[in-house]
Amino acid sequence: MTDVGNAKTAGAASAVAGGAVVPPLVVEHVSKGYEVNGEIVPVIGDLSLTLREGEIVSIVGPSGCGKTTLLNTLCGLLSPDSGRIRWHGREVTGQPQNVGYMLQKDLLLPWRTALDNAMLGLEIRGVAAAAEAEDRSRAMLDQLGLHGFADHYPSTLSGGMRQRVALARTLVHEPDVLLLDEPFAALDFQSKLLIENDTASLVRQGRRSLLLITHDIEEAVSLADRVIVLSKRPTRIKAVYDIALGAERTDMIGLRQSPEFSHYVRRIWADLDVVLQ
Amino acid sequence: MTAEVDAGMARSTGASTPIPDTAARRRRWKRLRATALVLATQVAILIAFLVFWGHMTSRNSAAAFMFGSPSAIGGFLLQMARDGSLWRDLYVTGSETLLGFFVGNLVGTVIGLSLWYSRFVSRVVEPFVIAIGSIPIIALAPIIIIWFGTGLISKVAMSTLSVVIVALVTSYKGALGVDPDQINLMRTLGASKFQVFRKLVVPASLTDIFAGLKLTVGFALIGAIVGEFMSSSEGLGHAIFKAGSLYIIPKVFAALVATIALALILTFIVGKIERLLMPWRRL
Ligand SMILES: Nc1ncnc2c1ncn2[C@@H]1O[C@H](COP(=O)(O)OP(=O)(O)OP(=O)(O)O)[C@@H](O)[C@H]1O
Ligand SMILES: [Mg+2]
Repeated sequence: MTDVGNAKTAGAASAVAGGAVVPPLVVEHVSKGYEVNGEIVPVIGDLSLTLREGEIVSIVGPSGCGKTTLLNTLCGLLSPDSGRIRWHGREVTGQPQNVGYMLQKDLLLPWRTALDNAMLGLEIRGVAAAAEAEDRSRAMLDQLGLHGFADHYPSTLSGGMRQRVALARTLVHEPDVLLLDEPFAALDFQSKLLIENDTASLVRQGRRSLLLITHDIEEAVSLADRVIVLSKRPTRIKAVYDIALGAERTDMIGLRQSPEFSHYVRRIWADLDVVLQ
Repeated sequence: MTAEVDAGMARSTGASTPIPDTAARRRRWKRLRATALVLATQVAILIAFLVFWGHMTSRNSAAAFMFGSPSAIGGFLLQMARDGSLWRDLYVTGSETLLGFFVGNLVGTVIGLSLWYSRFVSRVVEPFVIAIGSIPIIALAPIIIIWFGTGLISKVAMSTLSVVIVALVTSYKGALGVDPDQINLMRTLGASKFQVFRKLVVPASLTDIFAGLKLTVGFALIGAIVGEFMSSSEGLGHAIFKAGSLYIIPKVFAALVATIALALILTFIVGKIERLLMPWRRL
């Protein structure tokens, strides 16, 4: 295999090695445990998965099975006990480049306005001149329906709007891969549908990849190309569903009423039920 | 894609359209009235207290000697203001306090925040901080006067020592209290440790730092006055000490009133600076 240079250029060009497209993220036999009172408690048993370019993959699993742990391991905040994580074909020490990370908590900095929060990543990386960073962030806020709120402090925004600011912060530096951990769990149904819709189309437009952890099976099925169901600890993959509902899912409400949709939802429910018993 | 959502959100929140003038004015008026009510109640309590005090001491000369009377205290305040000693003492004690407050908080906060950097250093330092913090400052006063003389420096040193440990502990607590998820987020955005420190830890600790600042106004003042008790030729502590040893109790109270006024003014200024530095908290 040829050396693909740094991860950033590799991502942009979706590096080609021997003619095959290298997927942005490959996870091979990763395991991870926590040390509690001197004993290792295994959390992730043995987990392998691949996230391809332009693909949306949802992960569902029982509470406490290690979904957040998995995500933190993938983006280098924790290191795996065994196994390999390859970003664009390379193992990375520390944080991978060009990855967007977002949690259920919006984690906005209260002393920064919506705009300054959205700009945080650009500012830290120093990638763009201040004026350009501001323009890009403003445009991203506008695109997410926050026109006119750029100068508001987070404390004056609604929960849904704050989550949109957090999404703008995640998307504005144009990451190849998004790792989202129950990002919309705290929102009401209506805001959730709208923001899901926006996220999916921004991801698909930019041919980005998205790994979405969620408790909401309908959310998982309606957005993803693939749904991965995890087992209880020590976590393994219990089932994988390829969701054949077409990539162009413009009518989210209509989609949710289709028989195929309910079929997937019922089967995933059944999987999780077995796990819970 | 989001055009319709846009319009819908902006309309439904209503925050983008200015609040009608009358509603804004009514709210401001309401807030003003609430503040006025608080102030009026405070003044009423003070007056009731002074009237009660005056009443109890007016019929009993022994009580008047022991406790002073409001009118005698007022008289001394006036006299001290006229002969200029009040302003001189306020200036002396005020500058000792301010210097001690400033140096103590600066040193304490810088050390406290930097302890966030290294778990190793903070663990090494912790027992020493606790040990130093438990020393009663008064016990140090004689040594400090031997080291720094009887002038300004020794009072500033006393004041600084009274402040520095509190400032260190509150700012370190603030830095430790930063949400670990927030730190993780900064790291995934590519932040270096220094960037996490500067863009997250320092501003996130401001609330605790200011809580420490307000607390240490009093400590700085106590330090300065204890220093003046030990040996001095001017300042409010000196005035209190001198009047006390001459049994002029109303004059002791007069100097105390001036001390309280000084503390209130300094606290007020700290509050103003806090609001200036943390505009997002006003909302
Ligand atoms: N820092 C830690 N130290 C020890 N154990 C931990 C730690 N973090 C998580 N765990 C344990 O690891 C397990 C997995 O936690 P994790 O947060 O990854 O679950 P999750 O699948 O994200 O759960 P949820 O769906 O509720 O968000 C839990 O049982 C938890 O108690
Ligand atoms: Mg979780």
